[in-house]
Amino acid sequence: MTALYATGWSLHLPGVQMAEAFPAARHAWARADAVPPDRAGELLGRKGLLAVDPASRLAMCAVHRALSLPPGLRPTGRVQPRTALIACANFGAADAVTRVARGVAGEQRRRVSVMDIPNVSGNIVGAAVALRFGLGGPNLTVCSGTTAGLDGMRLASLLLRTRRADRVVLVGAEHAGEAAMALPVADPPATPADGAACVVLEAARSDTVRQVLVHRLAADQDWPRPPTFLIGRDGFDLTSRWGGLYGAQGVVALALAAHLAADEGHDGVAVCCDGEDGRRKALVTRAASAGTSADSRSRK
Amino acid sequence: MSAVIAGSAARTCHGGGQDTFTALLAGRCGVAPLRHRDRADLKMTSGYHIDGACPAGLLTGCVREAVRQAGLDGRHRIMAIIGTGLGEQGRIEDWALTGRRFPARQLHFGDAIREAVPGVTEVITLSGACSAGGHALALAQDLVEAEEAEAVVVAAVDTMTLSMLAMLGQVVPEPAERIRPFDRNRRGALLGDGAAAQVVVPESWRGHRLGRVVGTGLSCDAHHPTAPDVEGICRSMRDAFDRSGRAPAEVDLVVAHGTGTALNDPAECSALRTVVLGAGGAPLVTAVKGAVGHTSGSAALVGVDVALRCAAEGVVPPVTGLCDVLAEGEGLRFVLRRPARLRPRLVQVDAFGFGGVNAVTLLERA
Repeated sequence: MTALYATGWSLHLPGVQMAEAFPAARHAWARADAVPPDRAGELLGRKGLLAVDPASRLAMCAVHRALSLPPGLRPTGRVQPRTALIACANFGAADAVTRVARGVAGEQRRRVSVMDIPNVSGNIVGAAVALRFGLGGPNLTVCSGTTAGLDGMRLASLLLRTRRADRVVLVGAEHAGEAAMALPVADPPATPADGAACVVLEAARSDTVRQVLVHRLAADQDWPRPPTFLIGRDGFDLTSRWGGLYGAQGVVALALAAHLAADEGHDGVAVCCDGEDGRRKALVTRAASAGTSADSRSRK
Repeated sequence: MSAVIAGSAARTCHGGGQDTFTALLAGRCGVAPLRHRDRADLKMTSGYHIDGACPAGLLTGCVREAVRQAGLDGRHRIMAIIGTGLGEQGRIEDWALTGRRFPARQLHFGDAIREAVPGVTEVITLSGACSAGGHALALAQDLVEAEEAEAVVVAAVDTMTLSMLAMLGQVVPEPAERIRPFDRNRRGALLGDGAAAQVVVPESWRGHRLGRVVGTGLSCDAHHPTAPDVEGICRSMRDAFDRSGRAPAEVDLVVAHGTGTALNDPAECSALRTVVLGAGGAPLVTAVKGAVGHTSGSAALVGVDVALRCAAEGVVPPVTGLCDVLAEGEGLRFVLRRPARLRPRLVQVDAFGFGGVNAVTLLERA
């Protein structure tokens, strides 16, 4: 079991009333409003979003919040070569691919936009986030289906242990666009939903920020001790509650677990992602000396 | 640290890995009229086709061949990391145009790999534009060195899509008839269908050895959505040398990215001059895209297959399509017109992609 320190996290789930699921939540995270992709400018600022597709906008919103940036601030400054970015997204380029294919080969052909060049590349979500936030370390977009989010966590762990990066921004994002609605995920079956989440991972403990520990477990491994909360099919089931989050699901689960551990007193939140592409498990615990003041705005 | 490459396979418009190497040595250009034009308004006119190419099929065939060559079987704990630029986007296009639906799981390559390697424990598909294969190889070596897998199948695939062809047509004044890497008269990239696979195992491996991967440097420019950045490319090259403990002066062959575009080739030359020549290196430089097209996500691993064959056969193919070296290439020893006799000890394979994603791999003889 390998542990990482999560030093920032966010859930960005437009339309989800978090307080319905967690009425007893003590902290602001459960009441935070998430803007939908077409209103992303309210959080990110107006500039630089013109040709950005919804999945990338959602990812940017989640990263913006996990980095605790003030609303409207567009990051500037030097590229950070030691910060890696791992995006987990299966349908990131699907909207642009659909639009362009119909433009050049559909029944009603029309001019296609040169602005869509980056958008038809399968790695658009990872590329767009790195460009906006100046993340110059290794840049990966994981698209392995239902396991993508926790596959991303595994790769984050690898990048940190091999010293390819000092910090990994792990983001999951899916947009319930036309392709996502039409091309079914059989297991877990669900109506796709817009959603994103971000977890910032580091190998070493920080003395200055609030943090939780994220442990990766093998699929067949038992929990080291009984968890106090389970996110997964046999517990708090993200899919039945919030819709199909597909490639983002694993990161949404990790970010929710981080909130529950840091803000709601759970020590040992189990994350179990089951689906047609396999099973992945993780455990989120309180870090030994993590702050207990637990105001999410106090981070950084 | 390093890992062993125990098997390798490739597919391009010229056929398998050996057919491709033979075509490269002969300087054969595999370009053909673009077949997608009969159903779409595309400015592009040419491409490097594989007959009947579909991503999953190419991948399964390549992986089977590499696994067989390595002698892997059910006793080994095998993981797979697959890199792709466009993946199965052709199927999304087909759905967008015809309404034919298909299961979402066919957008990634879990099933295609399980068909070729039934006992595989995990399959991770990465979307990484034109350096996807190089990123997959970097992680494969890391996993083997961390003893998280006994063997990692690393593979990459791409076939041409309508949407990427349409987009490439937007950025060239006049479409190229063939790729001319590093040439003054280059007119841009053309896509090629391609796939490649390698089997990466630990140094303790007792079976077949084709070569060793000593390290892959990774970086992201975070500079521009599509244009390359010399500084970002230099970071990936330096990372490769730093990680592997090798000096740039040790490189005796570069298999360059060389896309034949206005921007890539001068940027790559500038980075090679800064990092490799600037540290006293004087390698031969070759590139394959003039012969096989830009095979997108599989380009890096096609380059690795070619590099392994150069080392095995002691001969380096010329840059097909290069006649008149661009000004920025001054001082670089491009292999021109005919093959060069060299049994390289340390080979650098470059791959750079949209989104500024860079992967530079160093390989050496087994």
